[in-house]
Amino acid sequence: MKMKKILFAAVSAGVTMLASPSLAGTELTVQRFFGACDADFGTNTDVAKAVGECGIITSLINKFNADNPDVHVNVSTVEWPGYDQLTAQFASGDAPDIVTIHESALSDYQSKGLLMPLDDLLKSVGVTPDAFTDAARNGATKDGKIYGLPIDSWTMLYHINMDLFKQAGLVNADGTPILPKSPEELLAQAEQFKQKTGKPYFVQNLANETALYTRNLYTYLFQQNSDFFADPKHVKLNTPEAKKVVEMYKAIFDKGYTTKDLDYGGAINAFLAGEGGVQLNGTWVVGDNNAQSETKGAALNKGGYAVYPYPQLFAGAHAQYADGHTWAVSQKDRTPEQTAAIGKFLKFFADNDFDWSRTGHLPAYKAIITSAAFRALPHRNTIAAVADLGRPLPSAVKRQFAIQDIVGEEMSAAITGQKDVDAALADMESRVNELLANI
Amino acid sequence: MGDRPVMPRTAPSATSVRAASVDIYAPQWRNFIFVAPFLFFFTTLLLVPLLWGMWLSFHKADTFSSGNFVGLGNYIRLFHDKEFLQSVWNTFYFVLLTVPTLALIGLFLALCLNRRTRTAAVLRTLFFSSSVLSVTIVTLIWRIVFIPNVGLLSTIYGWFGSTAPAFISDPSLAMIGIAIATVWWCIGLPMMLFLSALQQIPQDIYEAAALDNANRWQTLRSITLPSIKRTFILVVIVQIVLQFQLFGQAWLMTRGGPNNLTKPIVLYIYDTAFRRWDLGMGAAASEILFILILIAAMAQYLVTRNKADRT
Repeated sequence: MKMKKILFAAVSAGVTMLASPSLAGTELTVQRFFGACDADFGTNTDVAKAVGECGIITSLINKFNADNPDVHVNVSTVEWPGYDQLTAQFASGDAPDIVTIHESALSDYQSKGLLMPLDDLLKSVGVTPDAFTDAARNGATKDGKIYGLPIDSWTMLYHINMDLFKQAGLVNADGTPILPKSPEELLAQAEQFKQKTGKPYFVQNLANETALYTRNLYTYLFQQNSDFFADPKHVKLNTPEAKKVVEMYKAIFDKGYTTKDLDYGGAINAFLAGEGGVQLNGTWVVGDNNAQSETKGAALNKGGYAVYPYPQLFAGAHAQYADGHTWAVSQKDRTPEQTAAIGKFLKFFADNDFDWSRTGHLPAYKAIITSAAFRALPHRNTIAAVADLGRPLPSAVKRQFAIQDIVGEEMSAAITGQKDVDAALADMESRVNELLANI
Repeated sequence: MGDRPVMPRTAPSATSVRAASVDIYAPQWRNFIFVAPFLFFFTTLLLVPLLWGMWLSFHKADTFSSGNFVGLGNYIRLFHDKEFLQSVWNTFYFVLLTVPTLALIGLFLALCLNRRTRTAAVLRTLFFSSSVLSVTIVTLIWRIVFIPNVGLLSTIYGWFGSTAPAFISDPSLAMIGIAIATVWWCIGLPMMLFLSALQQIPQDIYEAAALDNANRWQTLRSITLPSIKRTFILVVIVQIVLQFQLFGQAWLMTRGGPNNLTKPIVLYIYDTAFRRWDLGMGAAASEILFILILIAAMAQYLVTRNKADRT
């Protein structure tokens, strides 16, 4: 009898062990930036309750796991943008299955054969590229194939504290903010703002920053029709157009029209505390800022919050620098179940892109961007224009993040007075070209 | 491998040939197995990467492929690169800021705390405690101190109605800010080394000096400092080697900015090899750093050898 019991227990244990892989389902590793917020949203599956990039993406993945018991997604969160880590993971053959990659960085990995073309997989789950917006489709397409599922298009915006704008007398009769139409007007309005409020017009994160400087430069080069990347392997930045932009930002810095020593987190806090009129930040903070404007006692609740695309300061094209986020899939051998699970995950994000667009990013799908629900979200009437204004660098330009660092470093040096403007532009151009020549 | 030679059991007669004695220091192949594990890891984890790094530095390689042989091309590019030259200068500047400060403050603390009181023991623990923290925690603490508007320094300056110096973003202060955080972090080891040296000075010398009516300054100058001279040199050299490898603090506090003024060589290597994927040039910069640290290590070797000769 005793022997029988032992035998039964052993068989049961064996069956359980054999059965457990199928119970656990297919495991997928997902790597993303957008921050960590497990304390607030770690178990939340009600996406409608989530706010901000981190809250929404965490809740979306929680919901995917809850809706798909046969698939389990393990998430690792990396510090933005996470490419140093991703590159090392690819080099060591340990890349995640699905990973967030900017459209501007896709070609670096795609050109090395590290990413899986997604056309067939997306087709198998009913997602076709013609559903993407033009910007999203162009950004995710490399050599005629889709290499990432686009989830948004983003750009930089003027986030405005309307209370301070009213104090500065920079409000139209209809309650909209008065924004400049030329560099001279910008400086004049910034002076007026400073005189009336005693605070700087701009809240910028200039401390040890590169991305903001670079995006500002690209935007105002586009607005002057400067084709600085006509040759994707050779940049022209030592130009009169670039000098105009750098000198404009230098004047803003020299005359105290901007905060100076703040890093990214510090700048966000300063703007939310009402320390300046306009914060230059991306689409991703629209949701958070709007939530603040609805919170009693918050500085943005006093006179309201408005958000606009960068003003058109030059006579050229109506354009501003834009990019987009995608989910890319690493190239590796997988079982049909694993590939199908990836397809499910991508389809889930395509289907739930509206929720992602609540962050402030523009949706990557035509059906959502034209939907009444999207138009009804706060401030979308003022920022929807960036869908047409947004312009990325040519996709053939490689190492765009490394270029961003060089351009930002040199611009920072020129604006803060460490270097003469001409010398900084010459160094900027030669350093970028050195980098591109050695790829 | 043969058997051990058998020792003769009887005393050799005057006429018999004396049997060869065993040389216990003679090399034997089986001894190799005792060092084999170490040699295996030394070769695979140190020697191979070192040689591979040298090989890479002569190639135009990126992270995913090792390209063409370019001879000294990477080194020539390196010495024409203002950013690299800046990073070499930054590293020396940082070493200059931190090493003398660490040696002098470490010595000062050791002199103050070299007594058998409870307070001294508590303070010794307190000063050493920062050394056990990771670089992430250290930089986080100092960012909270230095951060504009809401940081500790800003709050204190705010009480007196003035603005705190921008240690993280001011071009002339950023490296000093990193040096302050580093000294706070690393002060424990020099202090402990000096303490152990101080405790090895024979007490009777001090007693003799007291009988000769030597004052405290004379005792310090003529007895204490000469007795710990070698430890002082050791501290300086160890710290030079350590501080040459600055990376974490600069990366986490300033990202090498503003405009590369706090970018040390290791951060340059990281940037070049892993962010720009220019592995060949990153490897070449690593070789330069290797040579610089080798010089410091050789200096340590020479000093230690001289010490052995004298004693």
